[in-house]
Amino acid sequence: MADLTSQGTAGKTPDTTDAHEAALLAYARKKKLSPFLYLPVAWLVFVILLAVFAPWLGLWPADEIDWVALRVPPGANEAHPLGTDHLGRDMLSRLIYGARVSLTVGFAAPAIGVGFGMVLGMAAGYWRGWIDEVVGIAIDSWLAIPGLVILLLFALVFGGSLFMVCFSLGLLFIPTAARITRAATMKFANREFVLAARALGASDLRILVREILPNVIWPLIAFILIDIPIAIVIEGALSFLGLSVKAPTPSWGGIIAEGREYLETAPWISLIPTAVMFTTVLSFNLVGDAIRRRMADVRESQV
Amino acid sequence: MGEIVLDVVNQRTAFATGRGMLTAVSGVSLSLERGKTLGLVGESGSGKSVLARSIMGLLPRAAVTGPGSRVLLNGRELTRLSERELRPIRGAEMSVVFQDPMTSLNPTLTIGKQLTETLRFHKRLSKAGARQRAVELLRSVGLPQPEIRVDQYPHQLSGGMRQRAAIAIAICCDPDLLIADEPTTALDVTVQAEILDLLQRMVREHNMAMILITHDMGVVAGRCDDVAVMYAGRIVEQGPVREIFHRTRMPYTAALLSSIPRISDPAHRRLDAIGGRPPDLIDPPPGCAFAPRCKHVSDRCHRVRPEPVTEAGHMYACHYPLGMKEPA
Repeated sequence: MADLTSQGTAGKTPDTTDAHEAALLAYARKKKLSPFLYLPVAWLVFVILLAVFAPWLGLWPADEIDWVALRVPPGANEAHPLGTDHLGRDMLSRLIYGARVSLTVGFAAPAIGVGFGMVLGMAAGYWRGWIDEVVGIAIDSWLAIPGLVILLLFALVFGGSLFMVCFSLGLLFIPTAARITRAATMKFANREFVLAARALGASDLRILVREILPNVIWPLIAFILIDIPIAIVIEGALSFLGLSVKAPTPSWGGIIAEGREYLETAPWISLIPTAVMFTTVLSFNLVGDAIRRRMADVRESQV
Repeated sequence: MGEIVLDVVNQRTAFATGRGMLTAVSGVSLSLERGKTLGLVGESGSGKSVLARSIMGLLPRAAVTGPGSRVLLNGRELTRLSERELRPIRGAEMSVVFQDPMTSLNPTLTIGKQLTETLRFHKRLSKAGARQRAVELLRSVGLPQPEIRVDQYPHQLSGGMRQRAAIAIAICCDPDLLIADEPTTALDVTVQAEILDLLQRMVREHNMAMILITHDMGVVAGRCDDVAVMYAGRIVEQGPVREIFHRTRMPYTAALLSSIPRISDPAHRRLDAIGGRPPDLIDPPPGCAFAPRCKHVSDRCHRVRPEPVTEAGHMYACHYPLGMKEPA
């Protein structure tokens, strides 16, 4: 009897799940990345690969001076395909090594900010009470200090190491990340499945990690996607002001700043890194938007 | 008399609100034997769910428990235990099935994960052992293709299947007490009976005691041993199902019973609804809480709260019980 019924339903259910999955696949195919997105994705993959494998590409050392080739325009010298700067350093090499700085900051700063912000936001949103108030006051006071002042202070006190740049920039992302997490945590902390978990004997820590974290992670991923290009731009601005990594180390903003004085005689020194940075930031924005849109679609279709 | 699993003595639960103390449960006592099912009936806001949460110790922070209130599970007093001491008891000795399996299951974890987490925590099973047990449990609650379902997420299951999975999670560690808080309210009418049958079977197979919370007297009729009718935070009538249905004493219970449509009713008959609303629990009236809505009300009902009277296992709180001669 029991066998009969389970057989009867067994015949049906796989069809419905198959149909469901087929529909999802068809939907996913329809919503596939538009060809317009292949370019930014390809560009980002290209830049990331170059940055990661920079030491093995047989490039000129980024700070080696080629005395016989000062301010060579792109294409004029086979040894320097993108030309050289005012000190005869290889532009291609400096750009690729500069990409390492920009990308490191671009990924690390939002990650640091979201890491700290998530912990604070989850604690505040879950336990409420005095923890919430303390975190709230801390965030509000943090926001009351202009970001630029914080960055300047860090740069002056701790100097331009890459870690300090990532860390100080990351600090700026904490308040927003904490607020997003707190709001999402509060929404999920009152859900019945959290009560159900407590009814099954789960501890607070377990509830936070297993029940709440998987639910609040999505808005945070979206937040990181927005912050990557922002961090790259801010790092560029800091380099331009000479507040990022120290001088011989190349960074996109730094190269742009150095080329300023030669805009009339050797415009490529500033223009090439500007174009590269523009393309990279635009690509991150386009790809991030597409991913966020997909994420929203998937979550809506499930819930 | 069988072994007493749950004993609730004079449970009072109040909430601090902006307007004052709201007494959601005021002085409820009940006890429950192994293998028995108690139907806890009442309309929304009567305190059923707060009572259930008081038993589990899952009250919100704003809640205050009365000084004389005691909850004993298997003879052990839960009221004095700390959160840390309660954790190994929750899920293992007492467990809950919630109203809406859509919200009581975590949408981001597979059914299997949610089952094995509890199994591993309480029973210290290995990963593989917990998974095997999870599949067995899902099969025992009648989930088709448990080997496949165990790796699926709640949204991939229908409402009835989700509730089956939630029941499997609730009973996975063989609790002595299962509280089912309106377990079929959120489900299709067609699967409600199946879920209630399943709960009954689980009570039998696992030899548990169950509190079945509902607002539907019809649900209680065939499936419970005893009924407790709650109104405004108090149990107003309690006794064996047959007794309550055939010798209803409290007009509120009678009103609940006559609000069930009967198949023998003539077509297009108006259902008897209970007029009015439950009383304000922050500033309750001095007399019987049901007096303003009662058909048999007298002046005395408004002034004096009726004390519970027990005769032959049938408890009721009413000055003018139905089916009795008028008191002198």
